[in-house]
Amino acid sequence: MKIAISSEPKLLHILRGVIRWQARELGFSEADTDCLALAIDEAASNVIRHTYGGRPGIMLSLEIAVYADRLEFILEDSGPKVKAESIRPRSFDDVRPGGLGTLFIQTYTDTSCYDASYGEGNRLKLVKFLPGKAPERK
Amino acid sequence: MTVQLRKINGVSIIDCTGEVDLYSSTELREVLLKEVRSNPLSVLVNMSEVSYIDSSGIATLVEGLQLSRQTKTRFGLFGLRSNARSVLELARLNKVFHLFPNEQEALEKISSTEPFAGL
Repeated sequence: MKIAISSEPKLLHILRGVIRWQARELGFSEADTDCLALAIDEAASNVIRHTYGGRPGIMLSLEIAVYADRLEFILEDSGPKVKAESIRPRSFDDVRPGGLGTLFIQTYTDTSCYDASYGEGNRLKLVKFLPGKAPERK
Repeated sequence: MTVQLRKINGVSIIDCTGEVDLYSSTELREVLLKEVRSNPLSVLVNMSEVSYIDSSGIATLVEGLQLSRQTKTRFGLFGLRSNARSVLELARLNKVFHLFPNEQEALEKISSTEPFAGL
């Protein structure tokens, strides 16, 4: 499934709605569904705010792929390249407004990968393992 | 999302309903900062009907808290649902705000809190 929206904050709820639907279909709890919707919403918000500088009318897309053990979310935009090293979560001990989005993304997804080799624009892949399917940590 | 303001015994209560995201947080910010600037004794944000809040919504609440320090206004939140409380905890902001379980307790206790607690 692939959804494309214009870079307008008022459209973000559409992405959240689809993510919630998909997560519930796959058996995620309501709490985990909310967290997942928040993580992807934060990633899309970052594109609108930072990559596109708040300019409306530019497309961004979200692809949702379901595998046997995981959900993959691929967010693509056509903005200027983001420096991968600039994508860092805020320190846990840092108390201030802003800078929380990346922390939420990294906390509420299992892996996040910025694809620096992507042609024009940016591609961020976020993975969430399905309930009971997360690999055991050694 | 809707934002409405009411006053009870000199306490300003901002009733926020629905989803607070990058789009709707601007409306909350406008109402909240305007009210704190009007310098009431206390401002409370009713979060009981907030079903979703993202980082921009949290940043708005922190901004209100920071401004309340300047205006010497007591500032608190009440009625947080579990998802909103979870993100505040993750952001380590649950100890920064005065949090109350419900409106009654918030009204009873806000006047005895330190007006400048927090950031």
